[in-house]
Amino acid sequence: MSVRHAVLGLLHQRARHGYELHAALTSLGGGEVWDVKAAQIYATLDRLAESGLVREQPGTQSGGPQRRPFELTDAGLTELRSWFSMPVKTGYQRDEFFLKLMLAITSGVQDPYSVLRTQRTSLYRDLHELMTHRQEASARAALAQQLQLEQAVMHVEADLRWLELIEGRLDDMAKQTTVEPAPKPRGRPRKNPQSPDGE
Amino acid sequence: MALITATQLVKTYAEGATAVRALAGVSLTLNEGDFVAVMGPSGCGKSTLLHLLGGLDRPDAGTVKLGSDELTTLDDEGLTLVRRRRIGFVFQSFNLVPVMSAIENVALPLTLDGVSASVAEGKAKVWLERLGLGDRVNHLPDQLSGGQQQRVAIARALVTEPVLLLADEPTGNLDSKSADDIARLLRSLSDEHRRTVLMVTHDPRIAASARRLVFLKDGVIVDDQNLSASLDTSSKVRSQLEALS
Ligand SMILES: Nc1ncnc2c1ncn2[C@@H]1O[C@H](COP(=O)(O)OP(=O)(O)O)[C@@H](O)[C@H]1O
Ligand SMILES: [Mg+2]
Repeated sequence: MSVRHAVLGLLHQRARHGYELHAALTSLGGGEVWDVKAAQIYATLDRLAESGLVREQPGTQSGGPQRRPFELTDAGLTELRSWFSMPVKTGYQRDEFFLKLMLAITSGVQDPYSVLRTQRTSLYRDLHELMTHRQEASARAALAQQLQLEQAVMHVEADLRWLELIEGRLDDMAKQTTVEPAPKPRGRPRKNPQSPDGE
Repeated sequence: MALITATQLVKTYAEGATAVRALAGVSLTLNEGDFVAVMGPSGCGKSTLLHLLGGLDRPDAGTVKLGSDELTTLDDEGLTLVRRRRIGFVFQSFNLVPVMSAIENVALPLTLDGVSASVAEGKAKVWLERLGLGDRVNHLPDQLSGGQQQRVAIARALVTEPVLLLADEPTGNLDSKSADDIARLLRSLSDEHRRTVLMVTHDPRIAASARRLVFLKDGVIVDDQNLSASLDTSSKVRSQLEALS
């Protein structure tokens, strides 16, 4: 899963501190799915800033990356758009696609239906390739090979069924999804034992 | 080269007091040799589209051009001839005549069109053999499996040498093995015989055997993609295939 792009997507919504990003990312995944350490986010922010994809919001005091608000640059938005336009190609890894979908819903950079369609096309291309191979090979292939091919086919079918399920619920998801903690007032945050920056 | 071009098709059905808009402006071009699958939720207009492309029904608005003929301007007789001679239909329920043998069923579109029985059955036999039913020509439909019956129905659809084959859920009543066989058969029709094939299906594997995939939703096309862009195949699937070959 791409913490980099998650950070870009969340910063597109609005400028955020590192600790806000951590809380927002956790809530994007429903609180349990993505286990991302706060330190990982701060390191990501630094690397993104080095590559010019984010920058510190002008006119803020410097401090640790937990406290400094970052914002997206034009180059960052370009990178984010290109990520949205690509299907997820990490085999049957579903997390990154789900992250992409949630960020599409919350950031407004990309229509979530188009993210879904891009992924669906990619899965159907995989399935087309597998079926072509299967149709050509099945007569002479050893049983072990046929069964392995069948397994690959079934994986793609399962992912397609899951996409179909999501498509039917996408509007509801968009209604339910919030990635806050609600925006904190500007300025020095108050000491608060409940705040998620206590790591 | 474009074989059939549908432009801005609209079709509304009266449903009691209300009207159901089955197609709300669909444009689609099929090229010679295309093999296209149409998918989409139940009720989204797939069968309606197929009926309009095949001249089984007329649109409220929009046009269908097959070769140089504008189907929407033909009279009923003209449309009947187009259906009979230039388009083959295959449906989910095989629609074979139960008291006729396989070869008589396949020959039927020709005999109905005035071709002599011996010539018609000669052509029917060729298609039955091509589809692997050479040893079943004299069987009655109820002596054949579902997959075999559907192959007879496909032979019947092809015996007039149509330029376009339209199939509505052709594997909907078949077990998965027979469904695979039918999918492979439709693909070979397009690969080896340059037929243009459009099929409606719910089944992802059947759809994925096509080279182009069109998605309908609420009476409009929401996606239309080429599937054989093999560069796009994910590295995981590619390496699996390499490992197996
Ligand atoms: N002959 C008809 N009379 C009334 N409504 C129809 C008729 N045919 C189709 N419909 C309606 O039009 C819509 C599209 O139907 P159809 O093209 O059969 O969808 P699909 O094949 O995608 O399931 C549906 O709402 C269906 O109920
Ligand atoms: Mg239908």
